[in-house]
Amino acid sequence: MEEKIQSLFYKLRNMGAAFLIYQKRDNIEETKKIIPEIQEFVLWFLEGNRFGIEEELYQNMSSNLLGILEDILAALQQNDMVLLHDATNNGLLEYLQLFVETEQEEEADDSF
Amino acid sequence: MTVFEKNLEVLAEHYPEMDKMIKDAQENQEEPMLEILEETSYDGEKILKIKKENKICYLNGKRDTKEMAKKWVETLGKLPRNTPILMMGVGNFSYLKELSEKMEESLTIVIYEPSLQIFLKFLEMTDLQKWMEKHLIVFWVDGLEGMDARSMRDTLVQVLKYEMLDYTKYFVLPNYEVLFPEETVRFVKMCRDVALKALSGYETNNIFAGVMVKNLFANARYLCDGYKTTQLIEVIPRDIPGIVVAAGPSLNKNIKELKKAKGKAFICAVDTAIKPLIREGIIPDMFAVIDALKPVELVEMEEARDIPLLSTLNAAPEVLDYHTGMKFFFNEGYQFAEDIFRKSGHKMGDVSSGGSVATNIFSLLYKIGIETIILVGQDLAYTGNKSYADGTFKDVIEEEDTSRFMMVEGNYEEKVPTQLDLKLFIDWYNMYIDRIKERDENFRVINATEGGAKIQNTELMTLKEAIEEVCTKEVDIRACLEKLPPMLNDEAREWTIEYLKGLSEEFRKVKKETRKMKKLYQKLDKISDKKNIDKKEYLSILKRIEKQREAVEGVSVFQLISITMSNAHYTLLGEQHFQEKSLQKEGKEIAEMGIAYVEDATKCAAVFEKYSEEMFGDLS
Repeated sequence: MEEKIQSLFYKLRNMGAAFLIYQKRDNIEETKKIIPEIQEFVLWFLEGNRFGIEEELYQNMSSNLLGILEDILAALQQNDMVLLHDATNNGLLEYLQLFVETEQEEEADDSF
Repeated sequence: MTVFEKNLEVLAEHYPEMDKMIKDAQENQEEPMLEILEETSYDGEKILKIKKENKICYLNGKRDTKEMAKKWVETLGKLPRNTPILMMGVGNFSYLKELSEKMEESLTIVIYEPSLQIFLKFLEMTDLQKWMEKHLIVFWVDGLEGMDARSMRDTLVQVLKYEMLDYTKYFVLPNYEVLFPEETVRFVKMCRDVALKALSGYETNNIFAGVMVKNLFANARYLCDGYKTTQLIEVIPRDIPGIVVAAGPSLNKNIKELKKAKGKAFICAVDTAIKPLIREGIIPDMFAVIDALKPVELVEMEEARDIPLLSTLNAAPEVLDYHTGMKFFFNEGYQFAEDIFRKSGHKMGDVSSGGSVATNIFSLLYKIGIETIILVGQDLAYTGNKSYADGTFKDVIEEEDTSRFMMVEGNYEEKVPTQLDLKLFIDWYNMYIDRIKERDENFRVINATEGGAKIQNTELMTLKEAIEEVCTKEVDIRACLEKLPPMLNDEAREWTIEYLKGLSEEFRKVKKETRKMKKLYQKLDKISDKKNIDKKEYLSILKRIEKQREAVEGVSVFQLISITMSNAHYTLLGEQHFQEKSLQKEGKEIAEMGIAYVEDATKCAAVFEKYSEEMFGDLS
């Protein structure tokens, strides 16, 4: 799962950077391609608290994650690139980042 | 007084009657076309989402309301005064806020808002006063009296002047193209059309006798008696260190020390460091100029005239005119100059730019085989909050407010303030030195800048220590250089003079070929007028245009025209909202742009023809 999370993390982060820096306005189409990966991650996270965090925090995080997923789906339905960028890059990405090792992240930074 | 009322007053101050127009429009609003839904973001900001027909779209992120605007403004970088910004949409207030507050220079901001409702909401929620005092902001709102397409075009004509086209920024707020697709295309097309007109209507002489080609031509004559950097390999010993003297603020700390290195190293200074060095009694072995607009005053000292000079062909000609000593050039890829370099028979040899004059010198020293390079005054940061050493642009350089600058690792301080351009030079050094070290493990870079930003793979020491350690061998660089003959022998020199004199004829050839090309575009335009286009004929004319383009580009001097015209034209052709159209519309559009382009190329060729006649006519 770790590899999948990392792959998703970089895809979303690069997409976000392209949207912000190069004004690439194709995040709707690009996100549609990785929806199964997003769903897989969300389901994996929601399967149970295996992360050694307090139950209350886990519940809050789970409910917030569901909200993010809802926003992503709504954005795709409405062709809303702003909501989509916000939900993926300022929402989902923060969850993914919890599972991405800093060292590996820096390597990817250099290559980006 | 509400924010809305205050804004009306502010607008009326700048645009008399605008307050009345807004009030009238507010009272006479027709059935609303859309619904504005207000929401509070996670960080407590008021944000808008728009419901139009079956669509609901946010204009701000609800998790981070300002991120998009902040990043956009960051990517714009530093803009010159009066840069035109053409923006569509005010529904996400952060964009105008960031732009207005972060940009130092006063900008000309034209904002088109296709929805009166959104504009009214914007006036309720944002205080415009400070922004409008700082910048020239023009609002164009559908639904306000008199704001029709024609008058908008007139406004754009006022704003989109040729000389600002390269800087002009177009921006459509995210989701506006989803909510207002037709209006977006109309806006973008209008901007593009007006820009095209600006291109055709400029004063040819003023524009095309522009800085770059003017400099190239003015400096080309110095090739006749100039030298090539690859010749340095023959005379500069490799076992002495090279010293790059830049003009960063730390130069003041150890400039005197440099005297001890004279005669024991190859000392190359940037143009800006020349005056402080000479004032300290230090005559560098070479100095460099690459900047096209460098003021000659920076080097105007009698002692500087005779110091060998490393120059680009594009450098400020006033500096080269003032200078009387040996001038060294290198391969830069300008076709006409490459022909001359080939004739010299000397080896090809460029100098990696790196973007600054100091990085050019660094690359030169490496390329002529020097294995130990000492950096002095290469701060790449605002050491002591100063941009340059004292005695460069002014006797005493004032401190600047660097509180909002980016911070990077320092040589002697944990963090030092720097700017993006300097950061790029740091990155260049890091990359360049790293690559050299991969190939040559003996290569040493001693950073004797006593302050400034850290450069990786360099050894940090004081200049005193560095000189004691590596400047141990006597060398007379002046005597070494005097051994060199000019790069062109008598025969090659004569050929070069004739070649330069013949450039005007080459520009005449370009004119002839571009006129032929214009005829082909006119034919395409005519074909595209027909309702049922003959596809065969259409494709055939496109092929002929392509062939003719090759003929135009085949003329050696076309490169200069192409460089001069490229930026402005790419601005237009690369427009992101260009839409697929019918064959007929496509043909008309290609013809329209093609005609504008070849007309400009023809005018440009005419100006360069005259210019080359003036420059090279009496060359001997």
